[in-house]
Amino acid sequence: MKIDKSLPARKYKLYATWKRDMETLELPFPREWSHKEFNLPPDWKKIALKKMEEVVNKYRSVKLFLDICVKCGACTDKCPFFLGTLDPNNMPVARQDLFRSVYKKYFTLTGKIFGALVGAEELTEEMVELWYTYFYQCSQCRRCSVFCPYGIDTAEIMIAAREVLTAIGLSPRSLTEAIAKCETIGNHMGIPPAALLSAIQFAEEEIKEETGIEIKVPINKKGAEILYVPPSADFFGGPHWGTLKGVIKMFHQIGLDYTISTYASEGGNFGTWLGYEHMKKINKKLVEEARRLGVKWILGGECGHMWRVIHAFMDTMNGPLDFLEEPVSPITGTKFKHAASTKMVHICEFTADLIKHGKLKLDPSKNDQYIVTYHDSCNPARVMGLIEEPRYILKNVCRNYVELDPNVNREKTICCCAGGGLLADETIELRLKAVRPKIEAIKRTGANFLACICAIDKAAFTEYSDHFKLNITVGGVHELVGNALVFD
Amino acid sequence: MDPILFFIGSITPYIAFFVLIFGLAYRVVRWLSIPIPFRFPVAPAPVTRLGVLKRMSLDLFVFRSLLKGNKKLWIGGYVFHVALAITLISHILNVYFHYIWDVVGYFWYEAVLYSGIFFLAALIFLFVRRIVLPNVRYISKISDYIILILLIAIVFLGVYMRSFGLIDISAVSTYMYSLLTFNPTAPPDNIYFLTHYILAQILFIYIPFSKVSHLIGWILSTTRNKRNITRWRRHVNPWDYPVKIMTWEEYYEKFKDELETIGPGGERK
Ligand code: SF4
Ligand code: SF4
Repeated sequence: MKIDKSLPARKYKLYATWKRDMETLELPFPREWSHKEFNLPPDWKKIALKKMEEVVNKYRSVKLFLDICVKCGACTDKCPFFLGTLDPNNMPVARQDLFRSVYKKYFTLTGKIFGALVGAEELTEEMVELWYTYFYQCSQCRRCSVFCPYGIDTAEIMIAAREVLTAIGLSPRSLTEAIAKCETIGNHMGIPPAALLSAIQFAEEEIKEETGIEIKVPINKKGAEILYVPPSADFFGGPHWGTLKGVIKMFHQIGLDYTISTYASEGGNFGTWLGYEHMKKINKKLVEEARRLGVKWILGGECGHMWRVIHAFMDTMNGPLDFLEEPVSPITGTKFKHAASTKMVHICEFTADLIKHGKLKLDPSKNDQYIVTYHDSCNPARVMGLIEEPRYILKNVCRNYVELDPNVNREKTICCCAGGGLLADETIELRLKAVRPKIEAIKRTGANFLACICAIDKAAFTEYSDHFKLNITVGGVHELVGNALVFD
Repeated sequence: MDPILFFIGSITPYIAFFVLIFGLAYRVVRWLSIPIPFRFPVAPAPVTRLGVLKRMSLDLFVFRSLLKGNKKLWIGGYVFHVALAITLISHILNVYFHYIWDVVGYFWYEAVLYSGIFFLAALIFLFVRRIVLPNVRYISKISDYIILILLIAIVFLGVYMRSFGLIDISAVSTYMYSLLTFNPTAPPDNIYFLTHYILAQILFIYIPFSKVSHLIGWILSTTRNKRNITRWRRHVNPWDYPVKIMTWEEYYEKFKDELETIGPGGERK
């Protein structure tokens, strides 16, 4: 495996958080700074080390992973950001080592005694610069963990490491801008209630033109049976639009008693990538809204990292959700036992169950213009293990379905390279390099529709397909479901 | 008894053993003392305990994750660990239980020599790999080479003295027995054996402080040993703390006019 020691990826840095957003979010050290000029607070080193001590004593996995990596190198060529840039600091283990070396220096006996001999290094301003650069070149996709003999998960180390960066006042605008909007307006996109209403009305009109059916989507409706929470991108248009319409049409066909909410109009959770506190805050809104509306359970839309939070963290952070009921599909009677505690079901689980019970009127030939392939987003695949359901749906709503190369598919998927806060204009060059193996795989299938169940995927792949001249439509699984639905 | 022989034959072995056992125990206790805030296995993950056992066993006995990721390294690593296991077992059987040779046959007596040879070959492979492959060289610290050199030296001396019959195993055995009964006699005054022995003691002491602690640590890996049941059974985070968010009432105040266009109280049915 070749590497490029000139560290070519060092030039890609996310832009700095605005001072006003730091104030809104009450982040430490609100000030003017940039990705070139950090303007660190005077006692930054003390603060960083204190935070570091805190995180290694808060997350067992982090300390364990820092301690037991044997430097075998099995993970080195598994990270898309390394494959794309050949920058050695983007090898998962080297990325961890940026953190590990400092941990060793200050918190281990061998590091204190033997120093560089065991890879211990001082925490310097240059190190902080490397941290900010490379910790934000990890999409936290967990691909490296699949191949590591001990399952060492760079993503978990990055969660902790970014908390340290945030503590000394370093965080990227690509995350904080969206978080600030989410916490003050209701969603990452900053769509206020009236605009959200217009978006929905617009979707309703389009559906009427296309199918002749009249639908009125319930909003903030108290006492509905189910609260449906999509990522807010779905209200925004673009490659997400078809998914919103598909879902609305499907709910109409089965006569579901549901509502969407303007207050909890964001399923996504950019807080995930900044740290515990904001992840919990953004997620809490969902829980509180379900309580206020008095729904029975929650249905979640097509979004990747949203499901990382819901599947793995929600119940822990904002549970127990006793005031909700164990989810039961009102149409098929299926009990979603696997969601008995969190009370939140993935739209693909819900739809796959509908199809299995023959409750949807589908004509897959309506998608005949498409050769469809499916991109596993990292979170559904490697956090939830949601791999079969979307495929099952796709095979039922279209007739030309092809799989991607097994090396970049299913749990081995190469992500869209835009998660983890990397969906920003300033990283486009980096992302285009990193995603290349996936793009090549997509090309080889000859598909002209890339189905995914993640809003970031949809945004990113649309961007990439323009750039690589892919001639492919990017859309949601439920866009195809919507296309195939027949109304009589 | 010669004071040096006494020191490395009767004092340091106990220290080395003590450090190894208590060092590792301390490591494990330290890890266990840190909470697991989330149940966050890498999927697809099993939902039953039996499934976790299967997943972990495959990782232990077949190195399945490594096999998925890197076949060449898998061969090197696998031969290394299997040879290590056989070498350890035969050491114990040979030096502590040589009186059962008649019972178990001379298999283990011979086995250690051959496993040693494979062991050595694997070690040299791993060492060369570490130097030759640019990606692996980049992530290697001096200590990563030192541990390999230490192992190579130990194994080489062992293989060397056994292949040329330079050591009387029953003498070693007698000495080891005396150690075991806390009544140590002088170790065989054999330069090959003594060097092999001292290096092994250094290795013992080094293990708990180093990456070699993966020999226990892997069991605690939360991405592998957790069941994928997080939406089904609640996992509690002991250091969780409350957060404050914009409430619906605050939100309603802020967007009152807009919400009323949706419907009374923001509701559209
Ligand atoms: S989590 Fe993904 S992006 Fe991060 S180091 Fe691992 S493979 Fe690379
Ligand atoms: S595969 Fe795991 S143990 Fe090996 S170098 Fe990577 S993180 Fe370390």
